[in-house]
Amino acid sequence: MPEPTGDHHYAADLDELEGTDRLLTEVNGLEVAVFRVEDDLYAVSNYCVHQGGPACEGRVSGILTVDDEGELIYDRNGEIVSCPWHGWEFDIRTGEHLANPRYRLPTFDVLVHDGEIYIEW
Amino acid sequence: MSTKTKRSFEGVATVVDTDVHLTESQADLMPYLEGPFAELIENAGEKYGGFWGNWYPAAGYFSPMDTGRIEIDSAGDPHELRDWEVEVLGVDRAVLNPTQNLGLGYVHHDELSAALAHAYNEYLLDTYLDDVSEFYGSAVVSPQKPYAAAEEIDDRADESKIVSIMFPTSGLHPPAGHSMYDPIYDAIERSGLPVCMHNGVSGLMASFPLQWRGFSRFMEAHAFVNPAQHMVNVASIITHGVPERFPDLDFVIMEAGLGWIPYYIHRLDEEYSAARHDAPELTQPPSAYFEDQFYFTSQPIEGTGDPNYVRNVIDAFGGQEKLMFSSDYPHFDFDHSDALLDIVRGGFEDGTVENVFSRTADRVFGF
Repeated sequence: MPEPTGDHHYAADLDELEGTDRLLTEVNGLEVAVFRVEDDLYAVSNYCVHQGGPACEGRVSGILTVDDEGELIYDRNGEIVSCPWHGWEFDIRTGEHLANPRYRLPTFDVLVHDGEIYIEW
Repeated sequence: MSTKTKRSFEGVATVVDTDVHLTESQADLMPYLEGPFAELIENAGEKYGGFWGNWYPAAGYFSPMDTGRIEIDSAGDPHELRDWEVEVLGVDRAVLNPTQNLGLGYVHHDELSAALAHAYNEYLLDTYLDDVSEFYGSAVVSPQKPYAAAEEIDDRADESKIVSIMFPTSGLHPPAGHSMYDPIYDAIERSGLPVCMHNGVSGLMASFPLQWRGFSRFMEAHAFVNPAQHMVNVASIITHGVPERFPDLDFVIMEAGLGWIPYYIHRLDEEYSAARHDAPELTQPPSAYFEDQFYFTSQPIEGTGDPNYVRNVIDAFGGQEKLMFSSDYPHFDFDHSDALLDIVRGGFEDGTVENVFSRTADRVFGF
């Protein structure tokens, strides 16, 4: 298991994520959300690049899309967070805005060590 | 869950938000409904409990609000609304407009439409304007009943917190240049207040019924209808000489974005050059009326990712003197004050920033 270095900043204890899909914390003055998607953790900036809303505090959901036959399906449940101000959808894994990847929430690598969550920048 | 961030608006002396919406419901307005309709409903008992959706027909689209992704879905009580405007948007003065009653122009029952206008205005004054010093409001009128509307305007004109008249152009028929509305324009001009025009997606159904039938999604309907509805009414107003008949009347054109404004001013000038005989009441080209009597609110600013585009558009219609900040809060496409501030400050002098955020609105609304 890798050790935290000087680039790693303590975010929260791992057990704070039990029973929830995310936690919000502040690391060096930056509001960051740590999400659990399946078994992996992702850290995303909580400041919406659109107009400054609390992007990571919104609904975690999937998306309406089409399958190979063009039929409407609901897919990727649990992988998308929407800013509660304007509903802009972001991919929790990459921070990318689904409608236009030119807009992206900053994301950070996550390290779990000894029951503690660290984010790296 | 919190829907606020911790930042606050800084940078200009005063911020006026020219378009904030109440989210009035049936339960909110019914206590203020007067006359025969109040008695009629009272006698109907409970079985007509859901009549609101019949009175104001809805286009029936699956909207961004319906997914629950957007958590801001109501104005809240007066103090919640004040907190948002002041603490989050940095606003010093806000003009409150209706949501449902933007659709008064396509309420089928004419007399009921006039009664609803009166009820909304009572509700606005009683619940939001009386208690919060930062709040001002637009009184709504029923286009279907021009003389009742004129009386309503006369009754409201002396209220210090009423700073404009909302002429519900959404789904309006006939278009706003028709002479049947002259009593309304006459009363507004007499009141010294500006006339505000603001559309909504359900107006599509009334003004563009074929397009409503053809559009099956909210996105296409909403993208189209707000500017399209203004184009119909502005063409009508100019062609039929309304600003010539009411030279002291200021028009505030709301919530349709910016790019269509210079396009349409130029287009109407070109049309007038070839078809002046269709607008014999005019004594000057259409652009001169825009210069003298028209103002525009900012939201929803299209192209914020390309600030130079927005600045060029503002400059192209003389927005330095014509543009007024609006947030449209709490509707799903509201703009934060910072979004416009960053753009304007990045390309104009300080005086323009002050104009856009307060001076022009102070002059037009006369707070």
